[in-house]
Amino acid sequence: MRDSESIADVISRVLRYGVLISAAIIIAGLLLLIAANGLSDATPLLNFDLRQAPTLGSFASGLASLQPYSVIELGAIVLIATPVSRVLISVFLFAAQKDRTYTLITLVVLSLLLFSMLVTPFIPLFQG
Amino acid sequence: MLVLEFVVILLLVSIFAGIFGSIVGLGGAVVTTPVLTLLLGVDVHFAIGASIVSIIGTSSGAASTYVKDQMTNLRVGMFLEIATTSGAIVGAAVAIYANSFVLKLVFGSILAISLIPTLLKIGEDLPRNPELTGLSKRLGLTGSYAEPNGTIVNYNATGPKAGLFGMAIAGLLSGLLGIGGGAFKVLSMDLAMKLPMKVSTATSNFMIGVTAAASAGIYFARGDVNPLIVAPVALGILLGAMIGARYLVRARNPTIRKIFAVVLAFAALEMVLSAFGI
Repeated sequence: MRDSESIADVISRVLRYGVLISAAIIIAGLLLLIAANGLSDATPLLNFDLRQAPTLGSFASGLASLQPYSVIELGAIVLIATPVSRVLISVFLFAAQKDRTYTLITLVVLSLLLFSMLVTPFIPLFQG
Repeated sequence: MLVLEFVVILLLVSIFAGIFGSIVGLGGAVVTTPVLTLLLGVDVHFAIGASIVSIIGTSSGAASTYVKDQMTNLRVGMFLEIATTSGAIVGAAVAIYANSFVLKLVFGSILAISLIPTLLKIGEDLPRNPELTGLSKRLGLTGSYAEPNGTIVNYNATGPKAGLFGMAIAGLLSGLLGIGGGAFKVLSMDLAMKLPMKVSTATSNFMIGVTAAASAGIYFARGDVNPLIVAPVALGILLGAMIGARYLVRARNPTIRKIFAVVLAFAALEMVLSAFGI
């Protein structure tokens, strides 16, 4: 029981740090957004037809010039990465305990998760 | 509407969503989606993109407390995640062939029907503790947590296969519609695996983040994640989830079941109404 308690402590800390880091980045991005556009009309920013899917290039250059949207996207990516890192770290925690069943279970979950996150966006079947 | 107004309204709504979402294990999207589409007139695709972020926020914001206080059963959650992630991938693959009207009607009705067993268990504090046998025993699906008065509650999970099946359905639904997974997760653990109510909602809360993360890449690539919407939703939800998690740890099982029943009724209604485009 003591061992699974220490696993719980580590996972709890991973989740807490992930949440705090993403919140800090999103707050910074939101403040930048309000400073730039706070008193302008929100309607054009909410027009779905004008939406822009971020590319790696636009995201990187947006971050470099502290564009509010890119900063917020970075925060969202950290938030999305938080449960993923939780699964990743669980694999190592169970492996360190020589718990083969749960090392395998978490490894399967991690593989499915990474496949779904990183591979399926490029498969036409999933473009819906 | 001014950007500042929009941000403040969404921030307040999201705090509320985070509190309820984290307590019942559903993810705050049940609240944020109708507010975004019906009240703020935001396109439904943006609302679904925001719901992914709100689900992950609810999950991660509350889970650090739930995991530390042993409200979340890590083994149960990780074992069942095999079924939810597989289900979500299959759901996303067949989504283009699916009739969302029929799906929403069918699953909304299933949620409505599952109100009956939930209501029959209203007032139940702890389920009768089954003996740990078979697969549950091999996987160590057992746990304990401390009630606020100091009593230690020991519990065993039963019906791991039925639970796995329910989770596959929950994942399928998340992949197909981007919504509804959390309700099926709580119901599977509560009705099939006979876990204490608080453990069911806290473990569902732990799992929904992974299911939502599985489809996040697709929404990002499509441009459905709008930073103006996502920023206040994420911040409000995280704050709400931290508040909600503190409440759940101190609350009694019957209270949590009552709140869950209300939210379940609301989620069922919302899903049926959305089938008709409302």
